[in-house]
Amino acid sequence: MSLASDLESAVFDRVPQRATPIIDAHAHVGPYSEFFIPSCEPADLVRVMDRVGVDKTVLSSHLGIQLDARRGNEATAEAVAAHPDRLAGYLVVNPWQHPVDELARWADDPRFVGIKLHPDLHMYPLTGPHYTPVWEFAERTGCPVLTHTWTGSEYDDLAHIGVVADRHPGVTLLAGHAGASYAGFDTAIEVAAAHPRVLLEICGSHNSGATIARMVRALGPSQVVFGSDFPFIDLRCSLGRMVFAELDDADRAAVLGGTAQRLFGWRSPPATDRTDKE
Amino acid sequence: MALGRHPRADAGSVSVKELLATMDGMGIATAVVSSLASRWHAPAAGNRELVELLAGVDRLRPCWTVLPDTCGEIGTAAEFVDQAGEAGVVAVRAFPADHRYTLDGPDLDDLHGELVRARLPLLVEASQTSWEAVEVVATRFGEHTLVVGDVGYRSLRSVAGVLSRCPNVYLDLSHLASHCGLEWLVERFGPGRFLFGTGWPLRDPAEAVTRLLWSELDDAAVRQIGSGNARDLFGPDTEEP
Repeated sequence: MSLASDLESAVFDRVPQRATPIIDAHAHVGPYSEFFIPSCEPADLVRVMDRVGVDKTVLSSHLGIQLDARRGNEATAEAVAAHPDRLAGYLVVNPWQHPVDELARWADDPRFVGIKLHPDLHMYPLTGPHYTPVWEFAERTGCPVLTHTWTGSEYDDLAHIGVVADRHPGVTLLAGHAGASYAGFDTAIEVAAAHPRVLLEICGSHNSGATIARMVRALGPSQVVFGSDFPFIDLRCSLGRMVFAELDDADRAAVLGGTAQRLFGWRSPPATDRTDKE
Repeated sequence: MALGRHPRADAGSVSVKELLATMDGMGIATAVVSSLASRWHAPAAGNRELVELLAGVDRLRPCWTVLPDTCGEIGTAAEFVDQAGEAGVVAVRAFPADHRYTLDGPDLDDLHGELVRARLPLLVEASQTSWEAVEVVATRFGEHTLVVGDVGYRSLRSVAGVLSRCPNVYLDLSHLASHCGLEWLVERFGPGRFLFGTGWPLRDPAEAVTRLLWSELDDAAVRQIGSGNARDLFGPDTEEP
């Protein structure tokens, strides 16, 4: 049996997959003002992870990315503390809300394994000087930085990713949504190909298994990372693309978890021992 | 699903054989299929071509694209619906935004009436109209069947209101993407209001397949959404997946 057939069988049999460790590298927690989310509390997220067989999710709170980074990071820390084997946190840095203080506050807290930036929501360009403390911290520690990207944005287009990667070649940078549009995926691949520490994170409304496979063919699995964006986009919609994508077993396993495992290992590896939950 | 190459993305297939192979890979037995040529080029000609392409392929059921009959492009509404019936069409699809008319305007009234007479469901993507327009049509034509797809993940406030007031509005699963939205909607409105649909080729059919099968719904609800509701709306000879 191949990994692909094991995963497909789990879907068709309606049982959680047990074939490979899965780390979801892009998720959130809590309510969001713009639209109703039926199920968004930490326990709700873990319940759906159990339903499908996702081992670990790395998330930031909606409170942090929308309104208040300080209180939002506290909410993330609480969520991780409640489910330490299943959740890990991104520290949200809002460029308008004391980046230096927020980094210092949580720098040594193992609940946070990465930094989350959302230039579009915060209406501040990824290349702006308010983010300098983030790049300095990330280069010094190896902490990966997940940033929202959106093709054509004046704040976080793929061109901004390229500029930051040129300025800070030691920073590991996850391009969240990989540009998010059909036309932008090619540019995302080009930027990642030119910058070995830029990784494409694949959640979003317009990605597909075919495009993910194209990313992996162009970049290799060490620069492509599974993320779902739940509880915005349903975890199963995003994961289904990976289940049925035309990838070989090694590449599929790497994108689903292996690459993320290494990525977050600067702090301490997220638990992916399958015996933990069986 | 739709047959043809998409002009704005690297997606789609011009051959029935490729479409069937895609369905086989996802465990999809039967599909209601429209024509991308009808959406992106010439609606009436695309409809005719679709019937030719699907002739003799039992697993694929044609879905014609509608227009207002104001310019005579599809004949009168009554003629269009009669021809659709003769061609084995099981549903029709509207693209009000792309084809520059309004779903709830007077120019489509005759067509809605004829569709009700023929019991032909009308499919429309949420991005092609407004929830207000869907509600106006569903209310004005109480025996009509409206199936809305491509709902996304930002619309539940509007969706829940329309579904609560309009029992003849259904959703399909193509890009019904709110996290746990399907379970929440089924709990409120029952499984009878939802149909399996993929939105292929612009959407990856793996999304809808995985979303439904890995849902927290029981097996009976999954079967109803996966095929039962479609059989009720589109015809009794739709195969069990």
